[in-house]
Amino acid sequence: MTLDPRTKMVIVICLSTLALIYNSAGELLPLLLVTLLLLLLFRIDISSVWVYLKRFLQLMLVVFIIQCIFTRGGEVLLSLGSTALVSSQGLLAGASLVLRIIVIISAALIFTTFSSRDFILGLVQWKIPYELAFMVTIAMRFLPLFRDEFVNVVTAIQLRGVELKQVSWGRKIDLFRSLLFPVVFGALLKAQQLAVAMESRGFRAYPRRTYLRRLDFIWIDYAVMLIFITITLMLIISY
Amino acid sequence: MHFLTLTQVNFHYPKLSRMALENINLEIEQKSITAIIGPNGSGKTTLGKVMIGILQATGGKVLLQGEPVSEMSLAQIGRRIGYVFQNPDLQLFCATVAEEIGFGLVNQGWEPARVKEKVDFCLEFFQLAEYRHVFPLLLSQGEKQRVAIASVLVAENEFVILDEPTIGLDAYRKKILAGYLRKIASIGRGMVLISHDMGFVEHLADRVIQLEKGRIVGDSERKGRNGYDT
Ligand SMILES: Nc1ncnc2c1ncn2[C@@H]1O[C@H](COP(=O)(O)OP(=O)(O)OP(=O)(O)O)[C@@H](O)[C@H]1O
Ligand SMILES: [Mg+2]
Repeated sequence: MTLDPRTKMVIVICLSTLALIYNSAGELLPLLLVTLLLLLLFRIDISSVWVYLKRFLQLMLVVFIIQCIFTRGGEVLLSLGSTALVSSQGLLAGASLVLRIIVIISAALIFTTFSSRDFILGLVQWKIPYELAFMVTIAMRFLPLFRDEFVNVVTAIQLRGVELKQVSWGRKIDLFRSLLFPVVFGALLKAQQLAVAMESRGFRAYPRRTYLRRLDFIWIDYAVMLIFITITLMLIISY
Repeated sequence: MHFLTLTQVNFHYPKLSRMALENINLEIEQKSITAIIGPNGSGKTTLGKVMIGILQATGGKVLLQGEPVSEMSLAQIGRRIGYVFQNPDLQLFCATVAEEIGFGLVNQGWEPARVKEKVDFCLEFFQLAEYRHVFPLLLSQGEKQRVAIASVLVAENEFVILDEPTIGLDAYRKKILAGYLRKIASIGRGMVLISHDMGFVEHLADRVIQLEKGRIVGDSERKGRNGYDT
């Protein structure tokens, strides 16, 4: 089944909205099953879910433990002396939070089935200005660069003899606050240079762009989108 | 004891199909000017970064005065070895030129009055006084380069590594820089110069190491004025 990228977008949004609204494992588990089923329909290898999940394992573990310990109620399952550590409610709360993360990550995998180019094309055909659509995709591509910029600055600071791991939190916050402006400004400066470089190579030279390919929104897209939006809305209202 | 000792050092970038550095054995004395030369992509910058632990060697050992670099923090190394990046944009992060040059001193707890004195001297010497309050990244290429160099040399580390320090400098500024480097070398502060600029290197270096495709292919001590002796 090849759906329009925009239809897939809507599906991802529906799934993650539901994942955010639902709270209990009893609701999230069916949602996860539906998501996995959709992945199969889109011919995404389910084992790749695991590859992505692995990166979030630590986060999920921490979240799980915190939820377990700080949610009280139900039977006490584990106690240290007379203080209850883990309760049945806590365990459920932890499990549902983890489930929620898994649903969102799995749903996001649907994005891997189309290219960012198709995505721009889709947005443009929905009358969103090309520059804006292009900026969104560029921003997605540049996020890692921002991280690199940050790593560079941290390296440069340490090389000038500042032991970041040892300075007090007050000093650290001070340092980062004074760095915020130059780092953000520097990044903007580079973005501006990029914009000039792009325009000088013909970007936006003509007010209207033409496209080699057209994305066709066919009846099945309308149908799928309608079904997903309706079901999601109904589920939200009846919740 | 040698200042820096590299034994059987290898370095491999995850996405590069060949080794960036292969089997590097090197001893560098503190009180000397060592130049590293070689074509683009031969691994000069990588070697510099491995020496001070920005990159950890994927094989072999790097010792700084007998201590493994891998067990020291960047700040510990940074207080002993100054490092000027090849691209000044990567190391400028303060809001003004004066702050940039004073950053290391302030953070090592110098008194404000002494910091100011030292910063003023550097601004004057590198002809940056008029840009004192300017945002460093807005300066011209050569000016940025000089700020980057000044902000490292100001700390008076016992050793410095400069990656392509002459990039963007005009002939006159190159001469000023060469003079300064010669001066600090004469008072016993050593350095590694990574450079394409043979003219610049030839006048300064006591020793020239040549890299090609990640390997050392030449290592010559300079003897007298009329050339090199392997
Ligand atoms: N982060 C990286 N990831 C992958 N490969 C890299 C990375 N950084 C450098 N390289 C590669 O490693 C090799 C050595 O790079 P290096 O920057 O050390 O060269 P260099 O001798 O300093 O070159 P130049 O004269 O251009 O400064 C090059 O082939 C380069 O493409
Ligand atoms: Mg280099």
